[in-house]
Amino acid sequence: MSLSRRNFVIATSVAAGGSMVLSACSSGGGGGNSGKHAGTDKYTGSVTVGTKEDSTGPAPEIEGAKKGGNIIGIGPSDFSHLDPQRIYYAWNSTVANLYIRALTGYKIASDGSMKLVGDLATDTGTMADEGKTWTFTLKDGLKWDDGSELTVEDVRHGIERAFATFTTEGAMYVQSALVGSSDFRSKYKGPFSNKHLDSIVTDKAKKTITLKLKVARPDLNFTLAMHSYGAVPVGHDTKEKYDKDPVSAGPYKIAQHAIDKSMKLVRNPHWDPKTDAIRNAYPDSFTFQFGTEGLAAADRLIAQSGDDQYAVMAYSGVPAERLQKVLTDPELKKRTINGLLSGLYYYAINCKRITDPKVRQALNYAWPLEQIRRIYGGQSAGDYATSIISPDILGYDHQDVYGKAKKPQGDPEKAKALLKEAGKVGQKIVYTYPKGGNDAYEKTKVVIVNALKAAGFDPVVKAVDQGSYYDQVQQIDNNFDVMWFGWSPDWPTGYTVMQPLFDGATIANGSNNVSQLNVSWVNDAIKKNAVITDPKAAGAAWEELDKKIMTELAPIIPETFQRRFYLYGSKVGGALFDPLFSGFIMYKLHVKA
Amino acid sequence: MFRFLVRRILGAAVILLIISAITFLLFYVAPRDPARVACGKVCTPQTLALVKHNLGIDDPLPVQYWHWLEGVFVGRDYASFGHCNAPCLGYSFQNRVPVLSLIEDRFPTTISLALGSAVVFVIFGVGTGMIAAVKQGKALDKIASSASLIGSSLQIYIVGIVAMYYLSDEWGILDRPNDSSGFTDDPGAWFSGLLLPWFVLAIIFTANYTRMTRSQLVETLSEDYVRTARAKGLSARTVFFRFAWRGAMGPIVTILGLDLGSLLGGAVITEQTFGLHGIGALSVKAVRDNDLPMLLGVVLVAAGAIVLFNIVVDAVYALIDPRVRLA
Repeated sequence: MSLSRRNFVIATSVAAGGSMVLSACSSGGGGGNSGKHAGTDKYTGSVTVGTKEDSTGPAPEIEGAKKGGNIIGIGPSDFSHLDPQRIYYAWNSTVANLYIRALTGYKIASDGSMKLVGDLATDTGTMADEGKTWTFTLKDGLKWDDGSELTVEDVRHGIERAFATFTTEGAMYVQSALVGSSDFRSKYKGPFSNKHLDSIVTDKAKKTITLKLKVARPDLNFTLAMHSYGAVPVGHDTKEKYDKDPVSAGPYKIAQHAIDKSMKLVRNPHWDPKTDAIRNAYPDSFTFQFGTEGLAAADRLIAQSGDDQYAVMAYSGVPAERLQKVLTDPELKKRTINGLLSGLYYYAINCKRITDPKVRQALNYAWPLEQIRRIYGGQSAGDYATSIISPDILGYDHQDVYGKAKKPQGDPEKAKALLKEAGKVGQKIVYTYPKGGNDAYEKTKVVIVNALKAAGFDPVVKAVDQGSYYDQVQQIDNNFDVMWFGWSPDWPTGYTVMQPLFDGATIANGSNNVSQLNVSWVNDAIKKNAVITDPKAAGAAWEELDKKIMTELAPIIPETFQRRFYLYGSKVGGALFDPLFSGFIMYKLHVKA
Repeated sequence: MFRFLVRRILGAAVILLIISAITFLLFYVAPRDPARVACGKVCTPQTLALVKHNLGIDDPLPVQYWHWLEGVFVGRDYASFGHCNAPCLGYSFQNRVPVLSLIEDRFPTTISLALGSAVVFVIFGVGTGMIAAVKQGKALDKIASSASLIGSSLQIYIVGIVAMYYLSDEWGILDRPNDSSGFTDDPGAWFSGLLLPWFVLAIIFTANYTRMTRSQLVETLSEDYVRTARAKGLSARTVFFRFAWRGAMGPIVTILGLDLGSLLGGAVITEQTFGLHGIGALSVKAVRDNDLPMLLGVVLVAAGAIVLFNIVVDAVYALIDPRVRLA
């Protein structure tokens, strides 16, 4: 029963991988139900950039939805942070959507397609200087939950306090771009000594905020949608203590919070729906109950006695043990949502140790995706990943360099031939994975070893305790050849995948370029693509780089885009899978009469 | 008696000190970096160093331990949180609130769970044990003995889940376990929320008490002084309760004390199974989060409960059985 919980812990506590944002993985463990009951094969994501009109509130009404009632969220763990600048993980973001607002945000349609729109801003911003200067204008009527006006200074404050010494958990992109260094805290100490950044200019009368970056970032309007850059009221910033008692700019505010036990949100009377193109707000309140594992939560939703009719499984999905039951019972199946996680599960190949690209290509051919996915729970556990970039990324175009869609079970003949060509038959491969987190990895280890042997490799397994897994594989000098890993993009453009994973300049202890790929043409292409201003052209360029990297360098073995199922009570309406944060979209839920 | 208590309490303090030092050391033996908890997805060396400084784990180990001890006895000042009054067990790495406040918040659930189930298992355990002893060798004894054998071989994570599924989800007889209401806020909700865990926990524990009570009673009932009492023509009831029962209760009190001590340290599996928020759930989370101050806090509570109940057992034993002299 603690399977999903343990998995969840990889997700949150070993923040390092970050990757594991995606892994409150409901799958794994159970095994055996291959090929049955896939949820849906259509990709939910597909993001576009919206217009000013798209950014104007109110959000479209949901048919039949009425105001009132209380929605219950049942989750395994508390939200680790409530302070916007300390929020990074999907689980925190699902609730952050209810009270935090940033300059931009995503408007999600009922088919799951996403549009980047202005949230606090009137539109998605005006770019100048080829992506080095960005200007946003605030909407009229924006207020904090005490009725005071939300100003451009509050927006600037939210960005500036991301430099403070206590906001170490949040994203770093905007800070680095504003001062031109990843060691940004040495350049600016945050707003608490009343010093502001020269690179942010605000005009209170015109309600504009202009960011002047040291490097071009044509997708900055996507970056600014992260909750890490949410606004914070200058006058009510309690610094470290703000994490316990944040001020709301959204439709709900936090009324009660007992750490690791429960949290209640009630309506923020000062939120004006006309200022908000993204959020509906039908329920009068939300109550989150923490400490219930995925299996227990699924059982509660299956039984849905009493108030559980108004409940949803928050964050921890239906575990493999119950998936079969849920998908074969029409009444239960009707009460589920599902979607792909935004991230990619993959195996990083240590390019410093496995230097011959032919060997890395052979590994890609040999890898037994089908057998691995069967262990995760079969087709309903997710889709094969055949590329680096995932379906939710802007410009995604299905690619399959190694023909994995046709031969997911692996192609040992081709792998062997490549090894022979390289003169590396019998190549030793040290494979590692986190031990103690998810039983599934104990099983996938076996099929991986078998597949490698069949392809002419000499596999050696060295598992690492999950508590220190990231510490060890993210060391430059490690002794692993192939490392289980995962990456979840921070916003849906190719930059957030390719730059952190393959930019040679990032290689350091703790870096996410676990493959330690450092190839000049890749580094150059990342630099070049990062400044393409047209989103469509940029999307195509990232796709091309994906294909070229996989074909010529093969630094990773993509595994799966995992699918997660959630149950909800029969009195809950408006249930929709969030393509960004992989859970329910809380602000679209409503209570059925 | 007074000297005994003073000596035992001083001894207990030394034990707790040693346990805290060992926990501290063991924590750092494991190759885990607690700073990772608060270092973002792209964890640069600069950010990692900053987090270590924020958490106060950039000092050498003995200095860190000294600061912790200082906090316990005279309080401690934090740059970002201000003064933490003695006894200060530190701030939780994960939650950034004082460890003691979380323990105080969770302890009522743990006490409710431990004492409530103790009431159930003592009544049922000792009761069936007595019946079995009186009806020794008869059908009732055999049923009670085998039921207790089955009970003691069951596991909470199985009985608990099965009981929850049938008793609350399917048949709706008992409420789903829930600890959101304290005894003082709403006694009714407190009682119905904990009834199921009490009974499940009691199923496992009752067995021990049945077997223990039965064997103790069977033994004392055949003792000379009991036979003498019978021979003197005392009624069966008087012989049983005043003579045999009292003599048999000594060892029962001993295990009850030890069981309570360990239950108060946190019923980890029980709390996980029922989604209750007590000391046990807190300790599991502390381990998973690499949260050293929290871990030290719950280890000390658990150790403290066991040490305390050992003292209580020794004292009570002396009261029940005058033969035991406290030297």
